[in-house]
Amino acid sequence: MVKTRENISTKPFSEWEGSIDELKGLVSDKAMTGESMLLNMGPQHPSTHGVLRVVLELEGEEIVTAIPDVGYLHTGIEKNMEAKTYEKSIVMTDRTDYLNPMGNGLVYNLAIEKIINLEVPERAQIIRVILTELTRINSHLVWLGIHGLDLGVTSTMTYCFREREILLDLFELVSGQRMMSTYFRPGGLWRDVPEEFEGAVQFILNIFPQKIDDYEALLTRNPVFIDRTQGIGFMSAEEALAYGLSGPTLRASGINFDIRKVQPYSGYENYDFDVPVGEHGDVYDRYLLRMEEMRQSLRIVEQGLKKLKPGPFRSDNRKYVPPPRAELGRSMEAVIHHFKLWTEGFRPPVGEVYQVIEGPRGELGCYLVSDGSPYPWRVHFRDPSFVHIGALQHMAKNHFLADLVAIIGSIDIVLGGCDR
Amino acid sequence: MEQLYIDLENYLGIGTDSVPEVVRLAIAVLVLGTIFLLAPILTIWVERKVAARFQNRIGPNRTGPYGLLQSFADVLKLIGKEQIMPAHADRIPFLFAPLLMVVSVIMITAVIPLMPNYIGADLSIGALYFVAIGSLSTIAVVMAGWGSNNKYALLGAFRTVAQLISYEIPLVFSLLVPVLFAGTMSMVGITQAQADLDYWYIFLAPASFLIFLFSNLAEIGRTPFDLLEAESELVAGYQIEYSAMPWGMFMLSEFLHAFLIGPLVAVLFLGGWDGPFAEDVPVLGVVYLVIKSMAVYFLGMWMRATLPRFRIDQLMEFNWKFLVPLSIANLLIASFLWELFPEPAGGGLVDNFPRFIVMGGSSLFTLMVGLEFLRRKSVEDRERIARLIDEKNYPLATADQTGVAGD
Amino acid sequence: MELTWELVAFLGFAVMTLGSGLMVVTSSNLFHSVLFLMTSLFGVAGLFVLLVAPFLAAIQVLVYIGAIAVLMLFVIMLTRQVMSRPELYNQQMAGALVAAAILFLALLFVLTPLADEIGGDVAQVNAEVIAEADDAPDVDYITVEELGRAFVTRNGFVLPFEVTSILLTAAMIGAIVVAREDEA
Repeated sequence: MVKTRENISTKPFSEWEGSIDELKGLVSDKAMTGESMLLNMGPQHPSTHGVLRVVLELEGEEIVTAIPDVGYLHTGIEKNMEAKTYEKSIVMTDRTDYLNPMGNGLVYNLAIEKIINLEVPERAQIIRVILTELTRINSHLVWLGIHGLDLGVTSTMTYCFREREILLDLFELVSGQRMMSTYFRPGGLWRDVPEEFEGAVQFILNIFPQKIDDYEALLTRNPVFIDRTQGIGFMSAEEALAYGLSGPTLRASGINFDIRKVQPYSGYENYDFDVPVGEHGDVYDRYLLRMEEMRQSLRIVEQGLKKLKPGPFRSDNRKYVPPPRAELGRSMEAVIHHFKLWTEGFRPPVGEVYQVIEGPRGELGCYLVSDGSPYPWRVHFRDPSFVHIGALQHMAKNHFLADLVAIIGSIDIVLGGCDR
Repeated sequence: MEQLYIDLENYLGIGTDSVPEVVRLAIAVLVLGTIFLLAPILTIWVERKVAARFQNRIGPNRTGPYGLLQSFADVLKLIGKEQIMPAHADRIPFLFAPLLMVVSVIMITAVIPLMPNYIGADLSIGALYFVAIGSLSTIAVVMAGWGSNNKYALLGAFRTVAQLISYEIPLVFSLLVPVLFAGTMSMVGITQAQADLDYWYIFLAPASFLIFLFSNLAEIGRTPFDLLEAESELVAGYQIEYSAMPWGMFMLSEFLHAFLIGPLVAVLFLGGWDGPFAEDVPVLGVVYLVIKSMAVYFLGMWMRATLPRFRIDQLMEFNWKFLVPLSIANLLIASFLWELFPEPAGGGLVDNFPRFIVMGGSSLFTLMVGLEFLRRKSVEDRERIARLIDEKNYPLATADQTGVAGD
Repeated sequence: MELTWELVAFLGFAVMTLGSGLMVVTSSNLFHSVLFLMTSLFGVAGLFVLLVAPFLAAIQVLVYIGAIAVLMLFVIMLTRQVMSRPELYNQQMAGALVAAAILFLALLFVLTPLADEIGGDVAQVNAEVIAEADDAPDVDYITVEELGRAFVTRNGFVLPFEVTSILLTAAMIGAIVVAREDEA
């Protein structure tokens, strides 16, 4: 029978196909009978930072339960990476946590370097540190702008994005791409930084401290801001540890834990910087902490810039790192290596590694399993956003709807990273 | 109103007697209403430009010179859009709400004296009329929130009712101070009294001025009081389901209301059209009124660009625990002093100087005392929260229902 | 009878008041009922304006429409299960009819002697009032000052006024006590 317009059953799409029973056990009985209100916040909502869906049970405006529902931005990146060679899948890491492209690239490359035991020249290490710290500032700037927007301060967004533009210009300068830079490679960098790099970084170092002071002048002692953030989304140190929080969200609760200090990578042990730690574990402390982190990142960048000496920008291990272009004309061996690397890719030894770095949002981990083939057998990212969303329910309990927005802002989630 | 029509007739050269009175009034209403309805088109442009400058942007600059035609383009676009009604919406409230909203705001324009002799209707209860009509917009919001069949809209309506009804109280109390000074509720009377006195009531009652301004900002729902449509929480609050021109009508009334706060504050506290030579050249009165209104409007825009939004309980506390007692105290003090220090015979600036000092000073003092209380209270609150957190028994993140936010 | 603009306005407001008053009791949707009640009250405010009592009209709008009716809406939205429409309808027509009949009889009982007292010649009184109004159209018959004085003079309404105030205060305190949750 041919399907005609008539015999296709048409259902008005306003009819909700699901049933409220799906939520049984997650919300209180009152919500099931309609006594308290069930509110679907997201996935299309201005302040769920992308496509987070939170099912709220509201008693008036007070939140009884907040059930986060993730997965709306799932793009299968991890699975996709299994079908690409190690080097080719770097480009996908940028797209997970899209506010931290350099950091994602760094952790993935560190994992590869760890599994094949590849040395990275010092110049590359320093540039990696500079760029990752600038990415951290970039991420915090976006966070601050959006956090302000969530709380109703429309101006922070434009101020922060103005400064972010300078950073994005720098990323474009080094990698040719503003956001999805794909700049780090196993064994070093894609190419050496251009001559203007040092000047551009110096420019950032010159103007940013003043800008950060400006943001603080707008918010830190603003009574409405303080009222909206102090005592909100409180996590005690024990709870924060129990929920596996990390990064600024953990440190705001008073736990001094920073991967850069605890398990230094890329030569972080050579830099002198402080790790700010909060004491109250509320939204306001997280705010103060991130502001201080931006200043500390600038300190690291400044030291890095001083250390920056001319030298090789990637390892000369030809089995894993392509030879310089000039060598191809002279050496047959170089041509073979080049050909092998770009057609087949390299084959790391069988094994598995787990590498963590301190991302802007927290502990960013990469779990990599190699079966000896040119393709990773399994890549998994431990993204802090995912873990932090898990604590949302606890943090939002008995707060107002407006506080939930502040809390979501304060844990600084990026759904691209969470859902991958 | 009559004056407006007579002037129009003189300008157009029509005989007065040939037209019946009702038609004359209708024409005058039409002219006046249209002037005020067109005002938002300009003020939206001003607001966009000023907000853009605050936020390091340029603002509209493509449509027409300096982007002046942007609002016209927006209106044209809105007229051309499809009007969508959500499923299971309550039709009549849903469709009537924008209409009622616009009507309630336009009705306010009737009692604003534009210049000497120019007013829509010189009601003997002008000030009260403004408050009464202003309360109509609450109904429109509730109708919109209810009719939309949307939980966000409903939450927006809840907030609106709580907010608007609460803030009417300090509004009325601070409004009573200029009424008391002028001895009349007529807007013309209040303006005339200030013009006769050679000084404005803001100097006598700065606290009332500020309370009136803030409660008005809350009434129209502008930052930091924009909880009715808090976009980061309720997406758009009561207007979430509206599209096309009904939405445009909400926007129109919102901007018109925001703009009208300027003239109202100007009339009550800044002397309205009063200014040099305003009595001789009435057109100057309009200029003065617009300048004063825009100054007040600018304050609103400034706050909008700077301040975060209150939370609903903080909003209520700010009103009930600060603005209401302060406005009552202010009214009492102002009325006592007004009786204790009668107006000197001269009525000039110099003769009135001691009165300025006493009345303005006491008003400011009241304000300062109130603010000091507020400061102590908030410091205390913060210390309490910090202490509770330090003791690790902060009630908000525990399982039981009681909490700091709830009490 | 001469058709004046005042008469047209009066008829308009009267129809508005009575018509929507009727809709209040016949409408099966509680929310709509309150909206109609507002319309009805607005009509009453219009009648006040026609009676040259603008102060009462403004108070009518401010208190009855702007506050009381809005609070009614608020209560409906809060107490009913807002998203389930059937809750809004009730079948208490019979009870309402009985109550309305009793109220009507009571009003009749109270008001009939009053009408007799006036002398029945309401039309003439009206004509006088209208003639007076035509003579001096700008005069407020009930000025705010007079109203205020009436509230505070001994010959006026000071006793009822104070008693009402105390009653309302007591009611308010009572409401707070009832509504307050135990802080155990």
